[in-house]
Order: sequence, then structure tokens, then C-alpha cells
Amino acid sequence: MQKVFADFIHTLRQQGVPISPAETLDALKAAELLGLQGKSRLRQGLGLVLAKNEQDKQTYEHYFDEFFKFAETASPSGSEALEDGDDLEQQNEQSSDESSSNDDASEVSSSSGQGGGESEDNEQDESSENSATEVSASSPLGKMLQASDPAAIAMAIAKAGQQESVQNIQLFTQKPLFSYRMMNRMGNEALNQELLALDASDELAQQRLANRLRSAQAQLQEQVKDYVEQQYLLYAEAKGQQLRETTLQKVKLTNIDNHYMHQMADLVRKAAKRLASLHSRKRKLRKRGLLDVRKTIAANAAYDGVLFHTRWKSTVVDRPKVMVICDVSGSVSRVARFLLLFVHSLQEVLPRSRSFVFSSDMGEVTDLFKEHKLEDALAEIMSKWANQSTSYDKALADFSENTLKDVDQKTTVIMLGDARNNNGNGRADIWQKVYLQAGRVLWLNPEHINSWDTGDSIMASYRPYCSELHCCNSLKDLERILGNLLKHS
Amino acid sequence: MIIKHADKIASPEVLQEAFEKRGYICSDSIATAVYLACHLQKPILVEGPPGVGKTELAKVTAEYLAAPLIRMQCYEGLDEAKALYEWKYGKQLLYTQVLKDQLGDVMRGARGLDESVERLHSFGDIFYSEQFLETRPLLQALREPDGAVLLIDEIDKSDQEFEAFLLELLSDYQVSIPEIGTVKAKSKPIVFLTSNNTRELGDALKRRCLHLHIPFPETALENQIIASQVPDMDGSLRDQLVDFVHELRQMALKKVPAISESIDWARALLLLNVDSLDEKWVRDTLSLLLKYQDDIEIVEPELRKIMTQINPK
Repeated sequence: MQKVFADFIHTLRQQGVPISPAETLDALKAAELLGLQGKSRLRQGLGLVLAKNEQDKQTYEHYFDEFFKFAETASPSGSEALEDGDDLEQQNEQSSDESSSNDDASEVSSSSGQGGGESEDNEQDESSENSATEVSASSPLGKMLQASDPAAIAMAIAKAGQQESVQNIQLFTQKPLFSYRMMNRMGNEALNQELLALDASDELAQQRLANRLRSAQAQLQEQVKDYVEQQYLLYAEAKGQQLRETTLQKVKLTNIDNHYMHQMADLVRKAAKRLASLHSRKRKLRKRGLLDVRKTIAANAAYDGVLFHTRWKSTVVDRPKVMVICDVSGSVSRVARFLLLFVHSLQEVLPRSRSFVFSSDMGEVTDLFKEHKLEDALAEIMSKWANQSTSYDKALADFSENTLKDVDQKTTVIMLGDARNNNGNGRADIWQKVYLQAGRVLWLNPEHINSWDTGDSIMASYRPYCSELHCCNSLKDLERILGNLLKHS
Repeated sequence: MIIKHADKIASPEVLQEAFEKRGYICSDSIATAVYLACHLQKPILVEGPPGVGKTELAKVTAEYLAAPLIRMQCYEGLDEAKALYEWKYGKQLLYTQVLKDQLGDVMRGARGLDESVERLHSFGDIFYSEQFLETRPLLQALREPDGAVLLIDEIDKSDQEFEAFLLELLSDYQVSIPEIGTVKAKSKPIVFLTSNNTRELGDALKRRCLHLHIPFPETALENQIIASQVPDMDGSLRDQLVDFVHELRQMALKKVPAISESIDWARALLLLNVDSLDEKWVRDTLSLLLKYQDDIEIVEPELRKIMTQINPK
């Protein structure tokens, strides 16, 4: 029972459903309470304990069906696997026995537990009934195939899978290897040899047997393939996904293929959620609802210290005010995309953030994000602002005219740009004003530090007026920089 | 929670039936959730769109188990002083003033500050004792001798600090009050937390709860619910009504009508003696179902189409 549960929960975790050990224990308790009789009841009950949001619920339901579908076909008593609690446990005892005894391939069919044993008896009865004249196969696998008892075959497949530990499958390229090994484990070699021997003989009955066995063997091969495929889907599919995600975090944003953009957006959201939960409790510690003794005494000094009026403590929420200015021209636009996406995913902890984009004219896009979905807003921004030639002169002049008055000591201004200004002078004087007026000024440059001030880049003229300068071109960079921002605000 | 009759929660089916008798028609998963909550002693976090009967579930459970329902509405800025306990500051101040003279008597004859303080100490913390403690819903629920049903409504509206504060209560059914010590539940309450998903709740909180999502009901279930809530309604009209509401839920509206709105509408139609839904009646009573003018403007031009869909004659 525990083993099956552990496997199931492992599968869910692989699919990104976060399940803690405590929840696993709860699930076991719930399963005990509900019993294993009713599959739908169990499915609902475990769902309550294991999946804690809409998306996880869907994943859970899908994989519950997948996972226990397998249990049904692989169990000796077919669809009764979940209908009958004892049966499930029995099956597991068997499987644990099996995995411990690392027996020979030749023993497969005879040691496949009660179900297998019985079926073999049946098989002999049947074959003797069906055709007394027919020759029966001599190899164990051959006997099993001849009997064509689906339950016994399924059991043997499951057992061979366990012995070869198919659940450790990592890559889809391993699928044929595992299928091959499982076939061998089930005694394919012996069968092949038998087939050769049968082919060599001249008797019609034996050749007929060979043909029948061949087709059964092909069928079995197909079944094994399906089994491995299923195990791959259950255990390994998510691993590739994880691998891709970790790589995507590190790779340069400018180099990411459009194909992965969608996935990146998800990653940004994940990172934003992590940051939000890390920093959401940062408030200036003044408790509300408790008597503020100092203030109360002060307020009542006029009444000779008789306490008429009470004064209460209050909480001040300290949330940084952030202005993000993004250059959306050329190569910077890709990074800008993610910065905007990131900042707006952080709404929970940065509710007062404002965003501006420019190539030459600067425009505020805060409302756009409020009204539309993130992706739609981004698409609109890119189509509306991105196709102009860069002019920091014009952009900064716009900023100074419209927004500079709102910048105060509590504001953090983040500029994302490569400072490539098509040989204009760059109006660093405005940037100096911003620097003096704002609490902090961050400049993020997607180019590597070596290429700053080369060509038409005028990073040097802005450099004195920045509290911090960062090279920022991967999701990891973004996360680190914004994390620092939240920590120090 | 001490359940006086263990057979009341013998199985999810028993619960389902009992709730049905009390006019709360619930799906299998709801019954399973309540059953597990009673046996595993775990809080249930109920999520779902507004008006699907999240709060009602707590009420009907309390009624069925004959336990007091203690309700706490969450809002932004809710803190432990409002939720757990508070000292009766006014009473404390008043008493110190009244007892000023008494204090003089007690202190008489004491030599030096040390001795005075010593004497004061011997009286213990009079002003921070039970008499001056104002209990709030959470503490009340813990102190209920036979257990209670605690409903923490709209937890998503509260601050994250408060959510963190709830963790101790939800996992161990105890809270710490610095002046008094740890208060442990006399009998563990059954806790329902409801959320409309205005913000994502913390993983720590979710981990401690059973998570129940109540979606809009299927047509058949909603039909059943309305039948039990508005028993006088004609069956065919009810079918029409449920179909109509389901059509509305498919549309992109600001706020789609929930069960509570369908019930209100059913009551209204009954009151108006409507025996069959037609376009005129729907147009006149649409404001009962849709709470935004924008939504009404979206639906009105589509009315004829929807009506032909639900009356395919």
C-alpha cells in the first residue's frame, strides 16, 4: 500500500504538484478512512489532501486515472484492483516479494504469484482441451504465450519492469533499451531458441506452433513497448522539462528562441511568486490594535495623568515605489519584455510600480498592464513602441517633462537600456536630476560590461548618476537584482 | 470536536443524506471533504466562485452536528486583537482609578520603594487576568467545551501576517497569549476557511488544510438545489431556469450568476406567478441575475438566441 502511494506521489511531484511528507501521511490516513472500495470516492478524497489549487487538481486527476489504470491492467484480477482493497495489498506484497528475489528469467512465469500460478494450471487444462494433437511449447515464455492468458502476461510484464527498474527511465532514447531488457528478462532468449528449433523441424504441427508463437511474441513486444511508454510518461517526461527549465534560467535572454518564450513567461511567474512570498512580510514593525503606552501617557498629560484617551499602535506598510523605464528598441526589447513581465508579476509586493517604455518617445504603460493580460499588453507595447530609432535625448526629455515631478526620495528608478544613442549627446543632465531626486537609481544593461562604451554606447556619461549598475541578461540576473531591490527597500 | 453521535459521521453518504434533509444538496466531493475533516481533525479550505454555498456549508455542518457556529469575517487589517483576544483597556484604566485609594491602604507602612514593589508583586497580575480578557472568535472557538464549528470567512481578504498567525491555531489547535500562556482547545473545533481566490494563499496554510474546490454545479445538481430551496416551483419552469443560467455562465461576463442568484431568481419568478420563461419576463427580471449594467448590456441582445436554445421548439 505504502509503496504504491509513494510511487504515485513521486509521479505527482514530478509533474510539479508540490506534496509535502505531511500531506503524504494525510493521504494515507484518508485512504485508510475511505477504504479502497470506491475508486471515485478515493479519487476525491486524495484530491482534497494532495492537490491544493485548480491547476494541481487537474494534474492530479489526470495522473490518478493514468496511474491506477496501470494498476488495473497489471493486477491478476483485472479491473478489481481498486474495487477490492485486500487485492491491492496482496498485489503489492507480491511485487515487493518479487523485487527482493532477483530470480532467473526462467522462473518468471512460475513465480508470478497466486494469479500467475493459477493461470498456468488453467493454461495446461485449456491447451490439453483445445488440441490434444498440438505440440505445446517447451520454454516458459512460450508456454505462457501459448496459454494467452492476458492477466498472467500483464503480471509478467509488470514484474519484469520492476526487476529492470523501469521507473528509473530518464530519456526517451532509453525506451528501446528498456523494452529489450524486459523482453530478455521474461525469457525471450529461450523462446527464440525454441523457435529456431521448431523451424528446423519438418512436422507441420511444430511449424504451426512456431508461427503462432511468433505472432504472440510480436504482440508481447508491442505490449512491453506500451508498458515502457507508459512508465516513461509517468516518471520521466517531467524530468526533461525540469532540465529545460534550469537551462532556460541561465541562458541569455537575447538568445532564447521564440519557441521557448511561452515557457519563459511561466518561469518568470514562478520566480516572481518566489520573490513575492519572500518579501511580502516586510513591513515597518508597528503593531496595530495594541495600546501605545507612550502616546497614551503623552496624550493625557493635560488631565493630570488620568487616562481618558487611549492611543493605539498602527502598522505602516512599507512598499517600495518603483519606476521601470525600458528601452524597447532592438536587442534590448527581449530583455525588456521579461523585466516588464517580472515587475508586473510582482504586483503583490510592488503595487505602486509604474512602467515606461521608449525608443525615442517615452510613454507610460502601467495602465495597459492593468487592463490587459500580461501577454496581450506586452504584444501591444512591442508593436506600438518598438519600431523607432533609439533616442535617449528625446526619451529623457519626455520623462523630465511628464514624470520627474513624481519622483521622490522613496522612489527606486530602474532603467533598462544599452545606452546606444545613435551618436546623440544623451541628456545626462536629466539623468542627474533623476538621480538627485530619487531614492535609488538602477541601470541594467543587457550587454556585457566589456562592450559598454564601445561604438555608440554612452554608458560612461550616465555612469556617475547611478546608484548601481548591473549587467543583466538572464532570468537569474533579473531575479537576483529584483530580489536585492526588495530586500533593501 | 466531540461528536455526541458518532453515527452522524459514519460515512460520506450519511452526511450527504443528512445535509440534503436540511436543504443543502451537496456533491460527493463535498461530503467526502466534511467526512475527512471530522475524522482527520483537519481544517477545510473551501474555494470557489462567490455564491456556490461555501459559507452555507459551514452553517449546515454546525446545525447538523448541533455545535455552535462561530464565525469570523476576515478583512484587510484584521489582527489578533480582533481575532483572538484583547485586554479590556477601558476596564483596566477604570479599575486602577477606582482602586487608587485601596492601593494607598495596601502600601501603608511599607518602607522604601523595594518593599512597596514587593507588596505589589504579592498581589499577582490582577489586571492581566481572565476578568480583563476580552475573547474574540478564535479564542472562543478554542474554549468551547464541546467543540464548535469555526468559520473563517474570506481568508483571502486578510493580510499575509494574519495567515501566518493562523498556522499555529490550524495545526495544533492552540494559541499563545503572552500574559496567560498557551491556550489549548478543550475540544478541537471543525474549521472551515473560505476563499474567493482574490489572492493566492500561502503554501504553509494550504498544506495544513484539506482543499475543497466547489465549482458551479452541474445542471442536474442545480436543479435539485433549486427544487429543495424553492419547493413550490413548477418542474418545467425550473428546467428552463437552470438551462438559462447555465447558458449565461458560458458567456464572458464580469460576474456570472451563482447558485444564490438562481435561487433568488426562482423565488422572484414564483412570486410573480410566472409559469413559463419567455423573453419579456427574463428581460424584466434580468437584474436579479446580473449585478453589473455592463453584463446586462451584453446579455440583452443575445436574449432571443438563448431563449431559443433553451426552448428548442
